[in-house]
Formats: sequence, structure tokens, C-alpha cells
Amino acid sequence: MRKLSFGKAINEALDQEMERDEKVFVLGEDVAKMGGDFGITRGLWKKYGDKRVKDTPLSEAAILGIANGAAMAGLRPVAEIMFADFITEGYDQLVNNSAKIHFMFNGTVTCPLVVRTANGAGFHAAYHHSQTPEAWFLNVPGLYIVAPSTPYEAKGLLIASIRDDNPVIFLEHKLLYEMEGEVPEEPYMVELGKARVRKEGKDATLIASQRMVYLALEAAEELSKEDIQVEVIDLRTLFPLDKDAIFDSVAKTGRVVLVNEAPKTGNYVNEISQTINEEMFEFLKAPIKRVTGLDAPTAFAPKLEEYYLPHKEDIIREVKEIVEY
Amino acid sequence: MNLSKETLKELYYNMVLIRHFEEVVDEYAKKGYIPGFVHLSTGQEACQAGVMKALKETDYKFPDHRSHGVCLLAGTPKERVLAEIFGKKTGISGGRGGSMHIIDIKCRNMGFNAIQGANLVTCLGTAFASQYNNTQDVTAVFFGDGTMGRGEVYEGMNIAAKWKLPILYVLVNNRYAISTRVEDVHSYPENLSDRAQGYCIPNEVIDGNDVIAVYEAASKAVKRAREGEGPTVLELLTYRWQGMFSGDPAAYRPKEEVEIWKEERCPIKRLREKLVQDKTFTTEELDKLNKESLEEIQGMLKYALESPEPEPEEAIKHVYVGREVQGR
Ligand SMILES: Cc1ncc(C[n+]2csc(CCOP(=O)(O)OP(=O)(O)O)c2C)c(N)n1
Ligand SMILES: [Mg+2]
Repeated sequence: MRKLSFGKAINEALDQEMERDEKVFVLGEDVAKMGGDFGITRGLWKKYGDKRVKDTPLSEAAILGIANGAAMAGLRPVAEIMFADFITEGYDQLVNNSAKIHFMFNGTVTCPLVVRTANGAGFHAAYHHSQTPEAWFLNVPGLYIVAPSTPYEAKGLLIASIRDDNPVIFLEHKLLYEMEGEVPEEPYMVELGKARVRKEGKDATLIASQRMVYLALEAAEELSKEDIQVEVIDLRTLFPLDKDAIFDSVAKTGRVVLVNEAPKTGNYVNEISQTINEEMFEFLKAPIKRVTGLDAPTAFAPKLEEYYLPHKEDIIREVKEIVEY
Repeated sequence: MNLSKETLKELYYNMVLIRHFEEVVDEYAKKGYIPGFVHLSTGQEACQAGVMKALKETDYKFPDHRSHGVCLLAGTPKERVLAEIFGKKTGISGGRGGSMHIIDIKCRNMGFNAIQGANLVTCLGTAFASQYNNTQDVTAVFFGDGTMGRGEVYEGMNIAAKWKLPILYVLVNNRYAISTRVEDVHSYPENLSDRAQGYCIPNEVIDGNDVIAVYEAASKAVKRAREGEGPTVLELLTYRWQGMFSGDPAAYRPKEEVEIWKEERCPIKRLREKLVQDKTFTTEELDKLNKESLEEIQGMLKYALESPEPEPEEAIKHVYVGREVQGR
């Protein structure tokens, strides 16, 4: 099959959805003429023009406000927030508006917007350009959170997100943009709320998303040499959570390590742990473990950033510990 | 204002120093010695040198992402500014911040913020503290035309004016945010700073490549702030020679435009010609200053290159006061 980079797969999804549905438009800083800071919207402005591809000033609150208002008025905005860290500047629009519109209008109005944003560390850009924000949104009922790890899923999940009537935060890990993978040319959807088992195993379950999926796969590969068979689940959608996929795996392995690059305290994955605890307790053979970023901002110097970030070795250590528990 | 020979010499030297500093940063970023990305202020030296000369060490400074020169002139040992950009242990924040987060509380460099616009409200607080403590220290905040899109700018101006806060707004208008020109995304592109008038804040639009004009306007505004008359907005018209960051091909702007600014409006060339014409300095004397600044930079570079990287455990220090964070 044809190969595309993660970034190009997103670009193709945007293009095909704009082609299909005139209500879809794109807005954000530098998304038009330049095609986005990471080049993801390249070519769209040429093809669809000023009306549907809008360069904004540095105005995150306005970008998300426009998206909310336009979505309520029947359009389907895809807003780009250059770095996920800047979402805080329009946070109110997402938390107090997007998330509550359908509820407040008693089900009579939807807010079908997508906010695409580049997240994640490993780029040596320090604490204002490195964060992974899903936990900031998890405690806000009304929002979907999507976080693909492959070009195939990036395209399929973005198309599904644009067509979905809920507001979706769509996280793109900046270290994955260049990754190549097979991507069908025609439009397709990857169903929201469905995880994918990336590797089967019987001894323990690793649950991860985005770049951490690759760390988990590498750890699983190494552990298999020591005859520990690890199952790796790629969440793909962080909310709504695919409980079935997780529970099936826990029923099989009875051991879980959760992996995420945000700080440990209040991490998104804590919710998964508690869900398993409440509903699958009798299957557990060992405590659920976490491998996460440290409880600190992400520092700049590569040595510091590396220390902050979780590593394959951390995952291997935790898996061994619960296998021997 | 009649500037002393000493002042003119300092303005010239500082501009040349910033120029050479940025050239070294550019070179070493491209060679792969500098992690992440760096925003260079080449072409904007007069804005930084001119304003900084009008400030005291106790004045608060809020540099933005394109303000290496501000950090260099704030009073920090200069080699530690470069070491920070290199991400070294000896950097002024121990390598935890890099190019966009160069700080130094000793000389009140508050440059920890890379979220554009945030400084425009944080600066109210330092200015308020000066007013509160009756110290006459001024707060200078540097921001770009692009950042004029952010709402904080206006929330801040309203309060700054109402409370008569001692703030010097330094609006560095280099005509571009990243790829968007002022006129592409702003509703009043002629003089962006005229917006301040809506908050009863005086604004002045100045040729930002004329270091003397910048210095004089900044001095006047600083004096006004010190005397309790409140904030001023200085809009400095200038241009960044480089793209958004070192290595950005900047395909969004015409080559001729860049050439005009480089060839005809270079702030250093301009002062140089004036100083020679006025017979304040000879070309030989100015060349000597160039050479001295290069030597000073070589010293910084050696320091930055030879400094060790930080120990990994530094990554979790100082998250809380009096409280440790769990490491690996
Ligand atoms: C809140 C926020 N939005 C976007 C960015 C990304 N960004 C950094 S600098 C910049 C352009 C700033 O333009 P301007 O203020 O004119 O400064 P210049 O780069 O021209 O010096 C953008 C969009 C950011 N750092 N923070
Ligand atoms: Mg600018």
C-alpha cells in the first residue's frame, strides 16, 4: 500500500473532508499561506481559499471562540492550536463552552468542532512547548480526546473526529509527524472510542498512546526475549475509553502497566487504573503500575528532558516487578 | 538630547555585540550544538541596545522569545547567557530553560515565559510591586506585532493606565508574526500602538533601527514612568533579517524586502556612518570596537562549549519550595 507520513496523513484527511463537506473549515495561526508551523495544512489554502482556510493573529481564545460559535451555527471548524501548551490561552472556550453546549441547549445544539494541536516532549523546546495535556481535559465532561500513534490512524481518526458531533481535542505528537506508514488513499474512518491491540501477550498488559506506544512495543520486544509475553494496547481514543479492549486484556493477563509521558500525579492513566480497580479487581494478580513523566516541568537541556521522560527500561522494570509479584 | 561620546560608544558596541552573538548562535544552532530552536534578533539590535541603555539594573525586564540582546545587556555574566542557550550546567538557569527562557533575578530579567502575551499581564505585577514599595523601578516589557493579537495585551493596558503603573511597553514591530504580516491579520495596521490611546496610554512610533531615537524615546518614557505618570507604548519599527527561527527558510516573504532592510536600513551601519560623519569616532576606532566584541564573544563561546551538561537529577529540582520530587 502507499506510504504517507503522519503529518501528510492528517493533511489528506483535512483535504478530503473539506472536499466532501463545504461546512468544514480550518483556522489557526499561520495555517493558510504558510501551511502551519509544522506544515500540516500545506496546500489547503491554495485549494480552498481565504474563506475556508483562515490565518488568525495570535489569538487562541478567539480561535476557539470562533470554533465554538461557528459550530453552534452549523459549521464544522477544525482549529489548529500550534502547540498544545498554548491551549491554556483558550482553555475557557473548551472547558466552559465546547464541553457544555450540547448539555446547556438541552440536546438541541451540537458543537462539532475539532481542535488539532501538537503535543509532547523530546523536541528540546522546554516547558512551554512540550506538554501533554489530556489530563487537563479529562475532568471536563463533554469533550472527546483523540490521540493517534500511526499515520493510518491519524487519517482515519481525524476524519471520524470531524464527522462526529462532539467537540474533539485531537492530539498530534510532534515527534510522530515524520513517521511513515501505510495509508489508504480513499477517505475512511477509524471508529472513535476503540483501542487497538498492537501486540498480543498473556503475562502483562501495557496500555499506552501516541509516542509511548512505541516505547511499550520496544519494551515488549525485549521482554519477549526473556519469555515474558506482554500485550500492548494502543488506546487511540483517550476519551471515551475502550473499556472492553482493556478488560479483555486484563482478564487474560491480570497485570497492567500504564504508560504516559505527562507527569505522574493526576496523570490521565490514573483514570484507567481506577476503572480496572472498580470493575476488574478479581482478575488482578498484582498492583497496577504506572510509567510516566516525572512530577516536574519539562526542562530544556537534552539530559534533563531525557531524565524527565519515561524510558523503555522503566517499562521493563515495572513489568518484571509485577510478573514476579 | 546631546549624547556623550561614552554613551554613543556603548550603544555602538552593544549593537555589534548582539549582532555577533546572534551570528554565533545561528552558526552553532546549524552545526547542531544548540538543542531545540532559537529565534534570532539580527537586524533588531537597535531596539534592544537602545531600550536597555535607558534602564537600570533594578528595573524589571520582560524579554520575549526574540530577545537574546536584552538578556545579554541586562547585567548577567554574558557567557552564562550563551551557556544557557547551549543547555549547559553553567547556563543562567542551569540549562533548564534554553533560548526562550533566559532569566536572572539579580538583574531583574524575568524572561521565563514563551507563551506570547502572558508577559503583558505579568508585567503589571512587578510594576505594581514597585509602586507598592515606592521604589521608582520601571518594568519594561518587550513584545512583537504578532503578540498584539493576544487579549492579555489589552486587559493589561487598561489596568496599567488606570493604576498609572510604571511600565514601558516595547512593541517591536518587525512586520511579521511567523508568516503573517501585520496587515494580514490586524484590523489597524498603520500604527499598531495607536490602540493604546483607547486606554489613555501615550504611544510613540519610532524608527527602531535608529538606536539614538530609540534610546531617547525610551529615556523619556522611563522618566515619565519613574515620576509616577504611568505607562507609555513605544512602537519600534524594525525587521528581522532571519526567518522565524534559525534555519527557517522564510519563504513567506519577498527576497527584495529582506535585501532592502539589510542593505539600506542596517541599524549598525547607520550609526557607524553617523559617528564617522560627525567625526565622533574614526572608522579605525569603530573597527577596533568590532574586534573587541568578537573577542568577547569568543570568550563566551569557549565557556559555553567547555561547560559540562547538567546532571540529569537537576530536572526535578526546585519544583516546590522546601519539597523534593520523586526521581527515577
Ligand atoms: C500564546 C502563544 N501563541 C503562539 C505562540 C507561537 N509563536 C511564538 S512566536 C510567534 C510569533 C510572534 O510574533 P511577534 O510577536 O511579532 O514576534 P516576532 O517573532 O516577530 O519577534 C508565535 C505565533 C506562542 N509562543 N504563544
Ligand atoms: Mg513580529
